[in-house]
Amino acid sequence: MRWTHRLPPDTADDARRTRRRRTASWQRHLRIALLALVALVHLPGLGGEPPLVEAQSGTGSIRGRVDIRRIVSAPQARPNVADLSAQAKIEAHDLQRAVVFLDAPDVPERSPLRAAPRGTPVRARMDQRNETFLPHVLAVTTGTLVDFPNNDQTFHNVFSLSKTKRFDLGRYGRGEQETVRFERAGIVRVFCDIHSHMSAFVLVFNHPFHTTTADDGRYRIDNVPPGTYTVTVWHEGAARDSRSITIPATGGVMDVDLLVQ
Amino acid sequence: MCRCVLLAASFLIAVAAHAAAQGLPSEPLAFGDGRVVLGGDVTATIAPSDPGFFTYGTYEHSSLRELRMSLSARIRANSRLSLLAEVRSQNLEVTPFALYARIRPFESAPLDIQVGRIPPTFGRASRLLYARDNPLIGLPLAYQYLTSLRPDAVPATADELLTMRARGWLAGYSVGNASLTAGVPVASAFSFDTGVQATSAWRRITLSGAVTSGTLSNPRVADDNGGKQVQARVTVRPAPGLEIGSSFARGAFVSRAVLRSLDQPLTDSFVQQAYGLDMEYGRRHWLVRAEGIASEWRIPLGTTTQPLRTSVGSVEGRYAFLPGMYAAARLEHLAFSRIHGSSATLPWDAPVTRLEIGGGYYIRRNIVARGSWQLNQRDGGRIRSASFGAAQLLYWF
Repeated sequence: MRWTHRLPPDTADDARRTRRRRTASWQRHLRIALLALVALVHLPGLGGEPPLVEAQSGTGSIRGRVDIRRIVSAPQARPNVADLSAQAKIEAHDLQRAVVFLDAPDVPERSPLRAAPRGTPVRARMDQRNETFLPHVLAVTTGTLVDFPNNDQTFHNVFSLSKTKRFDLGRYGRGEQETVRFERAGIVRVFCDIHSHMSAFVLVFNHPFHTTTADDGRYRIDNVPPGTYTVTVWHEGAARDSRSITIPATGGVMDVDLLVQ
Repeated sequence: MCRCVLLAASFLIAVAAHAAAQGLPSEPLAFGDGRVVLGGDVTATIAPSDPGFFTYGTYEHSSLRELRMSLSARIRANSRLSLLAEVRSQNLEVTPFALYARIRPFESAPLDIQVGRIPPTFGRASRLLYARDNPLIGLPLAYQYLTSLRPDAVPATADELLTMRARGWLAGYSVGNASLTAGVPVASAFSFDTGVQATSAWRRITLSGAVTSGTLSNPRVADDNGGKQVQARVTVRPAPGLEIGSSFARGAFVSRAVLRSLDQPLTDSFVQQAYGLDMEYGRRHWLVRAEGIASEWRIPLGTTTQPLRTSVGSVEGRYAFLPGMYAAARLEHLAFSRIHGSSATLPWDAPVTRLEIGGGYYIRRNIVARGSWQLNQRDGGRIRSASFGAAQLLYWF
């Protein structure tokens, strides 16, 4: 401790300081021991709360490419013959994105595939731009807060009547945003009450083993505990293809290509 | 007709239940990469009979007792040319409703020209023709209630006109077509006019203008008097969620047959001229609309030209109190100018006040069950007051 060198030497004070230093040192050691004990209790297989999975030597990754051959027309505005038109252009939809997720019917209840994640809620974003929800498909984990900012000149009214999450954010304008927390796993269809051609999907999972495909259809799911899973691809309203896969105890990267047709 | 509507309602409920389970289309049907888009509406509405004809938009059909189906199509030839059409049926009576070409002459400029049987330029409620845009079951008075005026028959005297007060559902006059038939509303919501329309938008302003064959209250496929109607509308969005509109219309109203029988020249004297002011404001779960229309018909009455004025005001609100559930209300009044008869000075038609309160529940996004209660008060006629409860099931894609 540098301050001891700066103070003048005094025998009585020195003795008191030595006692204090010894007490502080003992308290420090006690604190370290307690922390170590707490850490040990929380390590898998060492008591306290049961582990989510058996201790494994490693985790695996699943990667591949989703080939979407199914032709999906972009949502169209309803033909409104009462419309005087001169309307703004509607942005093209990103309909070529799919969601890949893992399912494991045989995995015990306490597996990460069954347990809802804890901790600070994650935030995600679904924009409203040119009378389109962007992205068109959003995959989130339960507890995620999804922001719905409006970047259009007109008002939007985001709502959903899905059983998984029923909400109505009301009308709000450019520069404003509303947030929805998705607590339950399931599929949530999102619409705008003002613009009937606006629609999107929020897929809510109670585990983190899901991802949205990239522009070229590639995907990757990391940190998958060893076990046997079903890899499923979901596209525009339904599961389209699935494969069974086993991550060995040694972990590793598994390649799984999927087809949507 | 009631049995027909009940049957239709049962069918629609069955369809709704099936749709909930199986998934009938909830989006418009698109073919050829969006070149052809089809949309549809089905509404089944039931209510007690209306012997006072408060809710009739034609002599045959009450807006509260009908099965209405519409199929609309948009065919996109290229980025500059589209064809729009709609066929409607009211209680299984099919009529072509709209058929026009939409041309965008400049790819980059927001200017659209519509030619054919085109939508009304005038007013706000005329833009809300589909049941999903109407928070209540009843239609606004200005667009539905039948006045005693007719373009193909006119009264010979002021007394003859006054005898038809509150008889707009079946009016008859001694000059022109002698048969009894329904009068006209202030602005028709049941048929489209024929002509050319141009619309352009610039920032917060949208301008529209049209030249058509008929008039605001009597849209026509073919011209019946050689006079054209001019309509104009401007809308401004001064703040987010707020839109204010102003409209104007002027067109020859009285038919050629009437003028010939009166030995009147085919001049532009016998016109309908209307001004409108409207607003819509929406914020969070509230939506408020208001509209006022002042209309004047100039008709030959004996040897004179009689200006017959009417003014109508309407204010409605909607509040979504839960996801998929809302409550709404509308208050309206339709007033008429006074004319001198031989024994009394009276409004030329009986003024009407209407209050409608209701709500809706979204079974699915595109299947809505609605209920409303409507109170009508009229200062004239055999039946001066009537209230109805009505229920409606609406499906659209």
